[in-house]
Amino acid sequence: MASEDDEFTMLFQDFYPSLCRFLECLLGGRAPLAQDLAQESFLQLHRTAWGTLPPGEARFWLYRVARNLAINEFRKSNTRYRLFDRVVEAMRPVARNPEQEYETRERKTLVLEMLQTLPEDQRTALLLREQEQLSYREIGEVMKVSESKVKVDIFRARASLRERWGKRAKTAVSAS
Amino acid sequence: MSCSFTEKISSLIDGELAQAEAREVERHVLTCAECEQVKTDFLSLRSQIAGFETAANPAITNRELNRILSRGDRVSARGLRWGWSTPAIAFATMLVVGAIVGLIWYQNSSNTNPNNVVAHVASPTPPPSVERNDQPQPEASPKEPEASPKETKNPEREPSAKPKKPLVREPKAGEQFALVTEPVDPIAAPERVRPADAQTLTAIHIEKSETLLVAFRNVRLNTATSDAEVAYERKRARQLVQQNMILRREADASGDVQIASLLESLQPILLDIANLPDKPDSNAVRTIRERVERKNIVPLLQVNSAALARALDD
Repeated sequence: MASEDDEFTMLFQDFYPSLCRFLECLLGGRAPLAQDLAQESFLQLHRTAWGTLPPGEARFWLYRVARNLAINEFRKSNTRYRLFDRVVEAMRPVARNPEQEYETRERKTLVLEMLQTLPEDQRTALLLREQEQLSYREIGEVMKVSESKVKVDIFRARASLRERWGKRAKTAVSAS
Repeated sequence: MSCSFTEKISSLIDGELAQAEAREVERHVLTCAECEQVKTDFLSLRSQIAGFETAANPAITNRELNRILSRGDRVSARGLRWGWSTPAIAFATMLVVGAIVGLIWYQNSSNTNPNNVVAHVASPTPPPSVERNDQPQPEASPKEPEASPKETKNPEREPSAKPKKPLVREPKAGEQFALVTEPVDPIAAPERVRPADAQTLTAIHIEKSETLLVAFRNVRLNTATSDAEVAYERKRARQLVQQNMILRREADASGDVQIASLLESLQPILLDIANLPDKPDSNAVRTIRERVERKNIVPLLQVNSAALARALDD
């Protein structure tokens, strides 16, 4: 039992921050909620599945459960953020001056808001790829979809974000 | 994005293209300004998303981990809390089981035949085991006849019968009764953890038995009439016999070998005392006393009583 707890501790320390980051981005910020859901994911793992999963599967199980918990939260709040006007400001080069910290924080906020413009499945696939470096196969295992769907979702997410970024950049240039 | 290669750029930067296809796309990017810009923008998005820092700090992480490991089986993070606390449920369960056991005990006590405790012991209600005056044969036991056809029908059960020490014991010299038991059927009586209420009842029973045997040991023998006054001890023994059988059966079922063995050793002594006549012969009393001393029953009861008390306190 002590060794199981040790393994669980290692898994927790390895993936809890990543899971929090994934959920924060998925939820559009809301760090306390993200931590709550991350804790609940680990709690469910410890209570129901720990010791029964094949080696290496615990991580995918966690992300799958975390995503499902986040989807439940979406259904409760049904909130989406659309702030195209701020996308380009977040993407423009930032001068290194005393306001840099403020703009960095703003950029972080806008990344979250930008991600919220994507459909949930595209957002999830993109986050798992960019933040967790999961392969298309592994992402498909987490989301219970095919690799081809993962590939298409990731491409569409990137294309969508790039397009909005480009539109806003053109608008900003024409305004100046 | 008009170029047909743009979708492949997404897979290229993810390392999901086959080697040959990846080289082809790389060569194309070198010659296509649009695809080169797409690749640059996709990588920029990646740096923005991957560079996102979570608000989780080490102090929060350790606190969450400790909460999960220490209380993970009983407490949930959100939305999964029970309406009743687990201790309340356990207490309610203990009350219900205790009431049922007490009711059974009361019913059995009220039907006791003062002239033949053993005959009542043979009543259908509890025991898998039977004590008889002079017939250690099973015909008085309601279960014994079933045992034979069971064993006949399912002989494969015998080889798979329990790995625990056998409970069958031959009557020893000086004993009035034989203890004939059946092996516990592991299929019919699966092992389980003894609930706290059974432990409580067992602890109380052991303490009462110990008190009885100490009192019996101190019974004054009338040297003039060669008899002894044991009415109180006999009455107490009759009350304890039923409870002893119930608790021994429960201990057998739950796999508590130590308690089952103790209660098994105690059973014939309780029966002997319970079946003493109104004015027993001093020699009969001495015989029982000697058996109690020889089996070291009283110290065993004291040790187990203390152990159960500690277990219940925990």
